[in-house]
Amino acid sequence: MNLMAEILIQVIIAFLAGSLLLGLHRKIMARVQRRPGPPIIQHLLHSLKFFFKETGFPRTVSKVFYIGITFILALIWVVGVIAGPVAHDSLLILFGVYAVYKIVEHNAGSSSGSPYGKLSCVRAVLSAATELPLFAAIVFVYLVTGTMNIGEIITYQSVNGPLIFTIPLAAVMFFMLIITKSPYSPFAITKDKALISGFETEHYGLLRGFMHFSEAIAWYVMLWVFLTIFSGPLTAAGYLIGMILITFITAFINATTPILSPNHSVMTQITIGAICFFGTVIMIFTGVVA
Amino acid sequence: MDIVTLGGNLLGTIPLGDIVLYLTPFNLFLFAVLLGFTALIAFSKPETQIEAAKFNTLGVAEVKVDEKEFKQRRFLSVICGIASAGAMITGDLFNFTLFMALVGILNIGIVSAVKQTSVLNSAFNYGLIAMMCSLPLFGGAAIILAATGTLSLSVLSQMSASPMVVFGAILMLIGILGESGVAPFFASKAEMFRTPGSPFIVIIHLSSLFIIVRAVEILLLVLW
Repeated sequence: MNLMAEILIQVIIAFLAGSLLLGLHRKIMARVQRRPGPPIIQHLLHSLKFFFKETGFPRTVSKVFYIGITFILALIWVVGVIAGPVAHDSLLILFGVYAVYKIVEHNAGSSSGSPYGKLSCVRAVLSAATELPLFAAIVFVYLVTGTMNIGEIITYQSVNGPLIFTIPLAAVMFFMLIITKSPYSPFAITKDKALISGFETEHYGLLRGFMHFSEAIAWYVMLWVFLTIFSGPLTAAGYLIGMILITFITAFINATTPILSPNHSVMTQITIGAICFFGTVIMIFTGVVA
Repeated sequence: MDIVTLGGNLLGTIPLGDIVLYLTPFNLFLFAVLLGFTALIAFSKPETQIEAAKFNTLGVAEVKVDEKEFKQRRFLSVICGIASAGAMITGDLFNFTLFMALVGILNIGIVSAVKQTSVLNSAFNYGLIAMMCSLPLFGGAAIILAATGTLSLSVLSQMSASPMVVFGAILMLIGILGESGVAPFFASKAEMFRTPGSPFIVIIHLSSLFIIVRAVEILLLVLW
C-alpha cells in the first residue's frame, strides 16, 4: 500500500478507536460507580463538536505557544502512529514522542497565564517520575530481545513467546504509565479537578478539538505499544480484545481510587517502579529470565 | 551496541576524522523538535501571569516579564535550544558532556534575572547540584577515553565494555542525572517553573528531558 495512504488510514483508525475506547472507559467508570454515564460515542462527538466551536484567546496568553502547542501535540502523536503501527520503528523514537508529550502538557499550562494552568505545569515537571520506569521497561525489553526495533521484537516473541511471561515486572512498569495517562487516574495530578481541567483549562474551541484528537490517538498508541512489545504478534481481533481489556482494567482502578496528592503520587510511582526494576534485575541475574 | 539497532536506519554520516557525526530517525526527530521549539521561542512573547492579589478580595495581580529581562532570557533560551540540538546529533562523547554542562549553566541563567525569591532559591539549589555533578560527568568521559583511547561514539559502539568503561559510564550517568535535574534531583528544580515567561521555561524542561533521552542512547552504545 502507498505509504501516505497507510499513514492516513492508521491515523484515522487511531483517532476513531482511541475515541471509542476513551468513551468506553468513561462508561465503565460510571457503571462501577452506579451511574448511567454518557454513551460510548460521547468522547468522539465531543472531539468533533470542538472543531466547529468558536475559538477565542485570553488576553494574557503567550500567543505563539498557546496556539502552536496544540498543533504540536497533534503532530507528535501522528509521529507516534508512524513510528509504531505504520513503520514498526525504534522504541526510542516512541520514548522521544512521550517526552515531547510531557513538554506539551507543561507548556499548554504555562502559556495561558492562568494560575490553574501554571500549577498544572509545575505538577507536569514533578510527574516526570513516570518516565524513569518507562525507560527502564524499554531497556529490559532490549536486554531480553537484543533489539529496540518493534518489528524485530515482534519476531522475537513469535519464536520465544510473549514477553509479558518473561519479564512481567517490566510489563507492570509500562502498565503503570498507562494507568497514569488514563482519564481520572489516581496519578493524574496535572488534571486534578482542584485545577479545573489543569493544562487544558484555557484551551477551548478548535484548540481543544486538537487536544481531544491527540488524547484519543495517544491512548490508542500507548495501548498498541504495550500489547505489541509484551503480548507478541497479535491479529486485529487480538489488538481489539486487548485494548478493551486494558481499558476495562484501568477504568475499574480509576473508578475505585481517589486521586493522590502530588507528593504521594510521585512517591507511589517511584516505589512501584523501583520494586519492579530491582525485581527484574534479580530475575535476569539469577537466570529466571533466559 | 549498533547505532542502527538503537536509532533506526542510518540516514547519513559526516566523518570528521576520528569523530563521525551520524543521523538516524531517532536523532533527526529529537534534533528537529528542538530546532522547532527554538524557532518558536525566538518569535514568541511571554504570557502575563495572573495571581491572586490578597485574601478577602476578588482582585488579581498581573506578573509580567519586563523588556530588558525578556531580551536576556530569550537570548539565553535560544542558545540553550541550539546547545541541546547539538547534543542530539553529536557523535563525540566529550562534545556531549560539553553541551550538557552548557545546558545546565543556561538553565540557571534563564531564571536568574527574575525577582521571585523562591525561584532564585530553587535555581541556586539546582546550580549547586549541577556544579557537583559536573565532576562525575567529565570524569566519567575522561575514564572512558583513558580506557578505550577514543571518544567517538561510532568506534565505542563497536567495542566491548571493560570494567573501567562500565565505571566511567556509571559516573557519567550520575553526572547526567544531576546536570539535567531529573529524578531524584527534580525537587530542587521544580520551583524554577513557577516564574512567568512560558517560552523560556519550556526550553528548561525540554532540554533536560531530551538530553536524558539522548544519554540513554549514548550509554547503551558505550555499554552494550
